[in-house]
Amino acid sequence: MKHRRCQTIALPIIAVLLLIGCAPAAVPPGEQTGTLTVLEWAGYEAPDFWTDFQTTYPHVTVNFPIGASDADVYAKMAAGDQADIFHAYTGWLEFYVEEGLVEEIDTSKLSNWDKVPDSFKRVGQVNGKQYFIPWDWGFTSILYRTDKIPEGVTSWSALLNPAYAGHISMWDDGPGAVTVSSYIHQWDETAITADQLATIKDEWIVQRDLNLFYWAGEPELIAAMAGGDVWLAYAWQGAYATLLGQGVPVAYADPVEGRNSWVGVYGIRKGTPNLDLALKFLDAKLGAATGNNVVNLFYYGHTNQDVMSGITDPALIEAFSVDDPAILEKSNFTPNLTVEQRDAWTAMWAEIKAAP
Amino acid sequence: MTTAKEAGRPASRRWRRPAVDRPAAFWLLAVPPTAWLAVFFLAPVALAILFSFRPDMRGSLFAAWTPSLNQYASLFATASYWRLLGVSAGMALITAACATVLAYPVAYFLTFNAGRRASLYLLLLLVPFWTSYMLRVMAWKFLLGSEGVINSFLSYAGLVDKPLALLIYSRPAVVITLIYVWIPFVTLPILAALQRVDPALFEAAADLGASPARVFTRITLPLSLPGVLAAFFMVFIPTVGEYVTPLLVGGTRGIMYGNIVQDFFTKAANWPFGSAMALVMLAATLALVALALRLVDVRRWLE
Repeated sequence: MKHRRCQTIALPIIAVLLLIGCAPAAVPPGEQTGTLTVLEWAGYEAPDFWTDFQTTYPHVTVNFPIGASDADVYAKMAAGDQADIFHAYTGWLEFYVEEGLVEEIDTSKLSNWDKVPDSFKRVGQVNGKQYFIPWDWGFTSILYRTDKIPEGVTSWSALLNPAYAGHISMWDDGPGAVTVSSYIHQWDETAITADQLATIKDEWIVQRDLNLFYWAGEPELIAAMAGGDVWLAYAWQGAYATLLGQGVPVAYADPVEGRNSWVGVYGIRKGTPNLDLALKFLDAKLGAATGNNVVNLFYYGHTNQDVMSGITDPALIEAFSVDDPAILEKSNFTPNLTVEQRDAWTAMWAEIKAAP
Repeated sequence: MTTAKEAGRPASRRWRRPAVDRPAAFWLLAVPPTAWLAVFFLAPVALAILFSFRPDMRGSLFAAWTPSLNQYASLFATASYWRLLGVSAGMALITAACATVLAYPVAYFLTFNAGRRASLYLLLLLVPFWTSYMLRVMAWKFLLGSEGVINSFLSYAGLVDKPLALLIYSRPAVVITLIYVWIPFVTLPILAALQRVDPALFEAAADLGASPARVFTRITLPLSLPGVLAAFFMVFIPTVGEYVTPLLVGGTRGIMYGNIVQDFFTKAANWPFGSAMALVMLAATLALVALALRLVDVRRWLE
C-alpha cells in the first residue's frame, strides 16, 4: 500500500518536471499551440505583416486588438490591457519603462537580432537596457499633388501657406504640430519653452482654417488626395505608396529643414505568461519575408538590413531615398516626449481645435 | 406620492392590475434594468468622477491617489473650452428644434391621414436604420462633398462655377447631418402622443364650430406636447456631447465639445482631464434641462 501511494504522488511530479524540462525542446514549432495577443495599429494585423510567424507556428492563434493612436496604445497598456505584445512608436517609449509596463528583452533568444543595425537597436533602449525591438521605420514629410502644386514643395512652412487654403490636411496631433513648427523655426524640439509653445499655438490657430480637415486615419487622407480635394498634407510614406499605386500624381517632399523620421517598436508586456512565445513572435517579425511585405506593401522601412539592401524597385528607392546616402542624416529623428511635454502639447492642440 | 395620487383618484383606474404580487413584479421588472444601469452607467460615471480628481496619469491607474482639483482648475481657466460647450449646446438646440418641427408633420400624417397604410409608411421611415449610423453619415460625404452629388448637379446645371465648400466640413454640415439622423427617432414619441388623443374631442370641436386650424392649436398640439417635449430632449441631451458626426463631416471648424473630450482620452492619454471635461458637460446639460423644465412647467401638460 505504502509503495503504491508513493508511486501515485511521485508519478505526477515526475511527469510535471519532465514537461517543464522538456516541453519547449520537445514541441516542434509546427506543432506548438497557444494564443498570443498583439495590440496593433490598424492594417498591421494583416497576415502579410507576420507571415514568418504564421508559417513557422501555424497552430498558434494570434489576436490583434487595435489601438487608434500612440496615446491610445499607451493608455490601454497603462490601464492593464492583457495584450502580450504592443506596437509603440518613437516619442512614446520612455513612459512604458517609467511606469513599469514593459519587459526587458533577452535578445540572445532572437535569431534575427544580428541583422538589425546598431543605430536601430539603440532606438529600443532606455537607460541602457533593450526594452523594445525596433521593427518598422519611415519618414514624415509633406505629400503633395504635383498637378495642383507644379512649383513643388520645399519647406515645412507650406503646411501654413495661405495660398493653399482649403486644400491642406494636417495630421490631428499636437506633438506633430510642435515638431513641424520647431523645424520651421529651427528650435530644439526637446526643449520647447512656454513662450515658443504660445507662438506655436497661435500659428496653428491661424493654420486651422487652411485645412479641409485634420486627418486621423490614412484612408481618409488618401481618399481626399486621390479625389483632388486635398493638395498637400502632413503624411507618412504609406499614403505616398498607396497614391502612387493608384496612379495619382503625387510627390513626397524633401524639405530644406529635413524630413522627420520615426521608428516603430514592439514591446512585451511586463508579467505576460506567454513570454517565450512572444519572443518567438518578435523574432519572426524581424524575418525577411515579413520585412519584404512591409517594404513592398506599405513602403515603410524594415529594420532587417538584408531586406533594405535587397530593394530594387525604383519607386521604393525613391521613397526611401536609398540612393541618397545622407538621407537619414538629413532627417530629424523623433525624440522621446516627457510627461510634461505630452500633457502640454496635447492640451495645446485641444485648445487650437476649440479656439473661437 | 404615488400612493397619495392613487388614493385620490381610485375611480380613474381603467385596468385591473395583473395577478403578480408587488415584490415579485419589482424583482422581475425593475431589477434587471437597474442592475444593468448600475454596472454599465453608474459605475463608469463614478470612475470618471474619481479620475477627475487625479492629479495626472503618472503611477498605476489602480493605486490610490491624493485627490486634486488640478483638472477642474485648468478647465475653468481655459475660456475656449467653455465657449465650445456653449456652441455645442447651441448646435444641439438647433438640431433638436429642427428635428422636432420637421418630424411633427410626419407623425401627424401617420396618425390622421395615412389610414390603413400607416404601418407601411412607418416601416419605410425606419428603413434607414437597417444600415449602420456610420454608413449613413458617410453617405452624406458623398452627397455634400466637393465632387459629391449636390455639387456635381449644381455645376452641371451651370449654377455654380466652383464647388460650394460650405456643404461639407463645416458646422452647418454637422447640424444638417444630425437633423437627418434624428428625424425618424423623433417621430416615434410624437406619434405615440398623437395616437393617444381621443378622436371624440375632434368631433366635439367640429360640432361646436371650430375651424381645423383652431382644432389643431387648441386640441391636437396641446395634447401632443408631452410627446413633442420628450422628442426634443431625446435629441438635445445626447447631441450636446456628440462627437462622431463632427468627426466625419465637421472638418476643423465643425468640432464639438465631445470631440475635445474624446481627444483627451484617445490622443492625449489624459484621462483625468477628459473625465473632468465630461463631468462638466454632464452637469451643464442636466442644468440646462432642469432650467428648461422649470420654465415650461411640464407637469401641467402631463396631467
